[in-house]
Amino acid sequence: MRSINLLYVFVTILLSCPLRAQLLDKDDESKLYAETKQVNQFFRRFNGEEDEKGERYYPKDKQYRSDKLRKKYIGILFDASNSGISPDLKTQFVKDVLDKTEPAILNFHGGNWFSEVHTTFTMNGKSEPVTLFMELEKDHQGTKWVISKVHADMFTPYFKRDTTRVGKFLHPLSHELDFMNLRKAFNYTDSLSQFTVKRFVPDHLTVFLYEVKKGNLKFKTVEEVKFHFFQINGWYFELSEFNRSGYNTGWLISNLVKVNNDAEKNLLRKYLYYESK
Amino acid sequence: MHNYKYLFALLFSALMMENVSAQTADISPERKQAIDSLALEKVRDLSKYISIIGNKKTPFSEATRVMDRAEELFAPDSEMGVSSLNRKEISYYKVRKYFERLMALNYDRVTISWYDIHYISDLERQPDGRYVGVVTIYQKFEGTSDDGMKYKDTTKKDITIYVERKKTQIQGRIIEFWDVMLGDIRVSETSA
Repeated sequence: MRSINLLYVFVTILLSCPLRAQLLDKDDESKLYAETKQVNQFFRRFNGEEDEKGERYYPKDKQYRSDKLRKKYIGILFDASNSGISPDLKTQFVKDVLDKTEPAILNFHGGNWFSEVHTTFTMNGKSEPVTLFMELEKDHQGTKWVISKVHADMFTPYFKRDTTRVGKFLHPLSHELDFMNLRKAFNYTDSLSQFTVKRFVPDHLTVFLYEVKKGNLKFKTVEEVKFHFFQINGWYFELSEFNRSGYNTGWLISNLVKVNNDAEKNLLRKYLYYESK
Repeated sequence: MHNYKYLFALLFSALMMENVSAQTADISPERKQAIDSLALEKVRDLSKYISIIGNKKTPFSEATRVMDRAEELFAPDSEMGVSSLNRKEISYYKVRKYFERLMALNYDRVTISWYDIHYISDLERQPDGRYVGVVTIYQKFEGTSDDGMKYKDTTKKDITIYVERKKTQIQGRIIEFWDVMLGDIRVSETSA
């Protein structure tokens, strides 16, 4: 039944392609129409705010955010090759999103979504992966993307701390000797983290900015971009770009998780941010 | 002639002026449609210029002239970010450099055609008050050498457009209009 629905949507998109005499393959063209070409188009299709050709609907239009239109689009906004998202979970999600009394709408400026940007930098000449977490921030007359967090594997060893062993420490009467034993502590550069407070959370963004400023870390390229959405009440989904042949391409939902409460949501966020605390 | 075409379009968009003031964040649907048309006009010109620059039959002097025209469509410092299916790493070129590379491609025959598809995003306001949008188009490239070697690809071009309200004086009257400039372009090979 689901594949018949998908076929129906693709055929509708295909039929909506303008009939023009041209040299280029019509089949290719219909695939490009079907592709969710921009994240902006994902928003519009999810919300039911455009027609099959990508022409925008406005609040005065009858079709704008119509239940029928949204039902048609939401089915094609999932990565169909991902068997990890069960049909039951999808059905439950769609039911929640299209709830008659309180339909869920994605809002570009609504917060609770961010981007994960996989990049490569060179650190003293050696290529190193760096993940930037970006979010939209209001500024003056508009908005801009800003870096909210950074994760880089190359920084991790500097903050490692084994809390299971007693390890090295500054004894509790060190203050009586004007902390003269700090000299010994700072000799152990490999285990310096042991002398920090337990609640210390390493901040890769600070180190990242410092290294870039010092000229040690240089931008090379962007490898991959994806987005994480917490905007739909009770749900998390991931948005990734699929550059492949066929009709199920472009920006699609690549992961879907039901989040039952704030604790689960926070846990998921920490996981996404590579945070352990 | 070239500049008159845009001036006409700009004046048309000025005549389409609605009640929205420059300070208002939202652009009305009518205004958006007028801006989209202007943006598409510039994107179509760019497509045409790229086809001319890439064509091996275009004389060098003509290609240079077209490159100058094409460059005028862009905001200063615009870049092309290019990647392929085999090479995910993005290579960055200044617009002029990109055109020069296109002109110097080592094929005897080059055919550049465009899918009749475009997608225009909503416009979002930047901190400096200008609006920004993205127009997506698709290009088919075919290069053939005399020894029979053939290369084909389809690329998706995501083109930044900057939309700005400007003022000009015509016969003593101050006319406000919306101008569109092209910005960075992300060029990615697609599997289509």
